[in-house]
Amino acid sequence: MHLFLLIGLVAFSIMAVLSRDLLKSAISLAVASIFLALAFFGMNAVYAGVFELSVVAGLITVLFITAIALTRSDSEVAESKRHLIVFPLFFLALAVLDILVMRKLLGQIPAIQSAESGTFSQVLWNQRTFDLVGQVGAIFAGVLAVLALFRPDGEKAHQDNVSEGGRHE
Amino acid sequence: MLFLFIIVPLLLAGLLPLLGKLSKRFLPDLLASAAMLFLLVLAVVSAKPLIAGGGIIQQAFWFGAPLNIRLLLDGFSLFMLFTISLVSFAVTLYSINYMEHYGAKANYYALLLVMIAGMNGLVLSSDLFNIYIFLEMAAVASYALVAFGRGHDELEASFKYLMLSAVASAFVLLSIAIIFGVTGGVSFGTVAQGLKTLNIKYVVGICSGLFLAGFGLKAALVPFHSWLPDAHPSAPAPISAMLSAVLIKVSGVYAMTRIFLNVFGLTPALTTVLTVMGVVSIFVGALAALGQNDIKRMLAYSSISQIGYVVLGLGIGTPLGILGGLFHLFNHALFKSLLFLNAGAIEQSTGTRSLDRMGGLAKVMPLTATTSAIASLSIAGVPPLNGFWSKLLIIIALVQAKMHVLAVLAVLGSVVTLWYYLVLQRYAFFGKLNETWKGVKEAPFWMSASMVLLALLCVVTGLVFPFVIHSWLQPAADVLGQGVSVALNFIGF
Amino acid sequence: MNNLWILNMGFVALLIGIGLYCLLTMKNTVKLLIGVEIIAKGVTLALVASGYARDNLLVAQSLVITVIVVDVAVIATALALIISINRHTKSLDVRKLTKLKG
Repeated sequence: MHLFLLIGLVAFSIMAVLSRDLLKSAISLAVASIFLALAFFGMNAVYAGVFELSVVAGLITVLFITAIALTRSDSEVAESKRHLIVFPLFFLALAVLDILVMRKLLGQIPAIQSAESGTFSQVLWNQRTFDLVGQVGAIFAGVLAVLALFRPDGEKAHQDNVSEGGRHE
Repeated sequence: MLFLFIIVPLLLAGLLPLLGKLSKRFLPDLLASAAMLFLLVLAVVSAKPLIAGGGIIQQAFWFGAPLNIRLLLDGFSLFMLFTISLVSFAVTLYSINYMEHYGAKANYYALLLVMIAGMNGLVLSSDLFNIYIFLEMAAVASYALVAFGRGHDELEASFKYLMLSAVASAFVLLSIAIIFGVTGGVSFGTVAQGLKTLNIKYVVGICSGLFLAGFGLKAALVPFHSWLPDAHPSAPAPISAMLSAVLIKVSGVYAMTRIFLNVFGLTPALTTVLTVMGVVSIFVGALAALGQNDIKRMLAYSSISQIGYVVLGLGIGTPLGILGGLFHLFNHALFKSLLFLNAGAIEQSTGTRSLDRMGGLAKVMPLTATTSAIASLSIAGVPPLNGFWSKLLIIIALVQAKMHVLAVLAVLGSVVTLWYYLVLQRYAFFGKLNETWKGVKEAPFWMSASMVLLALLCVVTGLVFPFVIHSWLQPAADVLGQGVSVALNFIGF
Repeated sequence: MNNLWILNMGFVALLIGIGLYCLLTMKNTVKLLIGVEIIAKGVTLALVASGYARDNLLVAQSLVITVIVVDVAVIATALALIISINRHTKSLDVRKLTKLKG
């Protein structure tokens, strides 16, 4: 079961890369996220699964679709047709290499078994408090970045012809 | 107390967009500069005595209530904190005048503060995953700052930077995930202990490779350097200074050194890789800088070259090499930020960054010319300025470690550096004054003040270098010299 | 248990390979960002797999949630950049972004 979910995840990721329509790409990416979330549920990682579903499959897809809609008008980019030939070759080589390496490692890696106790919220709040500070900072950075890029044009955009003088190369 | 280094800039960053509505310029200027000054004083006065007896782990408090945040402070992190605070203070003073015509000052300072909070957090964290998250926090803020002018160049540079940097972060995180899977923990102590008991060459090799690629990209080491010559020149001058002088060092060199020396332990293979990457960076950066006409691009390539010296010194792994590498890191933070600020002053007064069109500016901008000359001589390694001593230490360390070829190459790299900085000086400041620039004025007060401050520091550091080494660098070098035992000591906490 | 971890890691490597291929060959800025997202998915899978294999699921999930939050910030910034670039060039083609040569 787990294996099928992972194969689905990879398949939809490939579709997201190769699809010629951006909207289809974004939706394939969301479907890949759903497969990943299901795989998380299978591994008993319920919280991670819920987050993957709601934030990655939900919020990030919405962001992608908004951006695609905002830039849609005259934005057809011709991707070369070569991908349909090059990508399968690349993928095959990657998969073979991957299988070889992983077979070699099978059973080779010792590890320390650890047992943890407590509930999820205890771990998140008590052990990983510093990460929460980092999360707040990252959200600040993201919000401020969007504000800075979309600030009103009233105060003139900086001229970018400063360096046009005569550049070597 | 150490928590203030993270929480003060972060809280102020949250407040500034609101305060910016009340007062567009004065309040943001005042508060940002005051916060930087506060952090600088905090690093020198309060944090320094804490580590008199070696590294400590301090618990963070929030209004008197203890939090489960343990901050690591030792010689190395304090040294980085001091460098970050010093450069950011100079840069904030400079921004008071320089950022005037960009608008949205409150937003600018908020982003700068988030970036500084991220760097401080990275330096104080004692856990691989915390390193990752603060790395990302500083990086997201820096993407926005590079694109702050919103011209075509800025946006393009920022986009390329973002793509490469996101891949770098993913490599770092993947490596952390593998280590987490093997050792069952992410804190320095657990990881060092686990790797010591397990003895798994394969996994450590893969993880070292991933860290090298990830942090190498962040530090712009050759062959991972292609984003830097676009991103650093496109940013506003104070941000170029900040990125070149501190960000690549904290998120690249500091994180890499901390993990390789204190958590993984330096192996001969790693020494070879690091020293070779260092020397290649020195040459690729220096030779590319020679052919540049855009002054900021020349400085950006020079950053790649100087980061090469830092990594070369740290990579040798001997006490003297580490000392030299760290000293060069500090010196480069001083003179490269100064050079970028000079370039910004020229760009603001004349509106050009092209060296061909400058000339004779020493007559109209004497202060900028003098400070720029000091920085250029310093970076080129002319005695008795600070750059000379740090390069000397690195070269002596190379000779002691019997790496004679690398030592010769390091000297040659220094000659090339002197060459292109003379080119820069000659084109920009000497010769006949271009008619167009007759009416050009010297940079405004705060910009001049911050340039003079940095130039004075360059001279003073060169003159009293034994003091600087004794009080700031030796504790840092000692921490790195102790190797893995540093991380193992923290297990009890 | 250990072998399941290695199987998962095999898929992580595949996802990262696909993402890197996308970043290296595609010409559309949004597509590049999708490549970054695929790499991020691989890394989250690696974190959860590691936690599952070592009975460390709670810590692993805390880490994953943090990673996802950070990821949202990165994606939002990147999309804001793409939209701003689109206003300048009226295109999503990276080949139009060649004013700067690294």
